[in-house]
Amino acid sequence: MNAATPLGIVAAVVLGTMVFAWINARRVRMSPQEYIVGGRGFGAVFLWVLLAGEIYTTFTFLGAAGWAYSFGAPAFYIMAYGTCAYIIGYFLAPAIWRIGKERGLLTSPDFFAARYGSKPLAVLVAVVQCVAVIPYVTLQLSGLQIFLTIAGYGKIDAQAGAVVGFLAIIAFVFATGLRGTAWASIIKDALVIGALLFVGIAIPVHFFGSPAAMFDQLLRAHPHALTLQSVSGVHGSVWYVSTVLLTGIGYYMGPHSIAAVYSAKDANALRRNAAFLPFYGLIMLLVFFAGFSALLISPGLKGIAADQSFLVIVQRFYPSWVLGFVAASGALCALVPATALLLSAASIVAKNIIGDVFGVGLEDKARVFTTRIMVVALGLFALGLWLVFKTTLVELLLLYYNGVSQFAPAFIFGFLWRRTSALGIGLGIVAGLSLALYLAAFNLTPFGLNAGFLGLLLNASVVVAVSLYSRPSEEFFAQTHRKAPG
Amino acid sequence: MHRRSRFILAAIPILALSIAVPFVNRVEPRILGLPFILAWIAFWVVVTPFVVLRIGQIEGRW
Repeated sequence: MNAATPLGIVAAVVLGTMVFAWINARRVRMSPQEYIVGGRGFGAVFLWVLLAGEIYTTFTFLGAAGWAYSFGAPAFYIMAYGTCAYIIGYFLAPAIWRIGKERGLLTSPDFFAARYGSKPLAVLVAVVQCVAVIPYVTLQLSGLQIFLTIAGYGKIDAQAGAVVGFLAIIAFVFATGLRGTAWASIIKDALVIGALLFVGIAIPVHFFGSPAAMFDQLLRAHPHALTLQSVSGVHGSVWYVSTVLLTGIGYYMGPHSIAAVYSAKDANALRRNAAFLPFYGLIMLLVFFAGFSALLISPGLKGIAADQSFLVIVQRFYPSWVLGFVAASGALCALVPATALLLSAASIVAKNIIGDVFGVGLEDKARVFTTRIMVVALGLFALGLWLVFKTTLVELLLLYYNGVSQFAPAFIFGFLWRRTSALGIGLGIVAGLSLALYLAAFNLTPFGLNAGFLGLLLNASVVVAVSLYSRPSEEFFAQTHRKAPG
Repeated sequence: MHRRSRFILAAIPILALSIAVPFVNRVEPRILGLPFILAWIAFWVVVTPFVVLRIGQIEGRW
């Protein structure tokens, strides 16, 4: 097979997307507001691709199909949680946005500083979020390597390709900030939807006649694959419900999602987005179709091989240009979310650690500069980590999925309960995170519950208990009420 | 009607997609070829935008 065609398409699409986004984003005069939260001027389209684009990362593209392939029905949670998240987001996102706008907040830890008036809490959050985000960036690098390996029919050094792609991305974030991510996300999402329509419909139709016929065959071959198999066992009903609730609550809690919320031009833009975003989740059906088709066409794959199953089918049965476009959309799924993650981590270090703790880079120009330096520094750090530890880092990802959800009580209690104290939130995060990581590290699932969900329950209990016996931060409400008209 | 009904409305799809799913955990009846559990989830994903639009209407947002 000729590897030049698909690899050429991947390179052209990635480069074209970056140039397109750079041309559209370059005219802006950079201030920290512009660079980190897009000048708080994003309307419907940008918000849509930034907040919904969260779903279309390599995890979705490879992981969701891999889950359908390996586990069957438990994968359905991936379609359900986004919808729950958008309903919660309808109420939560405008409230976060309003405080961001009133106080000029740039990062997620800024919210903690503003609401709870506690610098140590903001620093704790800043450190945990950076530690959580870096492994997530390295996961995208592993995803990129997989797409390049398949697009090159295994003939090229995909690791070198991934390094080149990632270095280009660091330069891209350095130059464009959040606006570049937003423009690139538009192309990414358009291509991903195209690729998913292809793999989710063309593959079942080509091999089985229709998706319905594919399910008929699947039920004959694997009669138990399409339902949850137990109540409190591994991936049973209890696990399903607790996972949907945990990931639904945690959806907006990643620091890059908070930055996307700040970037909205008004609160109603966020509300309208929340209303229509579930339609995007429907496309997840096609990912399941692709994963289930792969299970019938090439059964017996395990682990990472199962994640790549439908790509291998595209590689084996379809022309090289088709493979090129599917791999290119996958590569953008790795690179574009990496830009948002990298920018959010860099802005947190620059603002909440270098700025607020060490007092360096407080002026607008200096802050843009320190953020850009941190984009390069953290980008190279993530790249180094990936090259050295590649495989073991996947376990660190537990820190991300279970970790970011632990910030939810700070936002939810913060708006609903005046007494919530900085000490309560801080201890809650530490307790919830410790429990979730302990359970995840030893693969413990009491009552079949999701580890992060148990962490979140402990977290919320600690927040309530400690807040009742510590001094709340009344200053925040005093200020907000003074500003309110009337 | 106002304040409470919008939270009840908001809770319906969340409960339908979480707690309710173990109770519709079966393959039959197939709907458009999909196993029932998957069709149930897809149905609520499609209905939710209309629920959220209605909440916005109750709140007078649009």
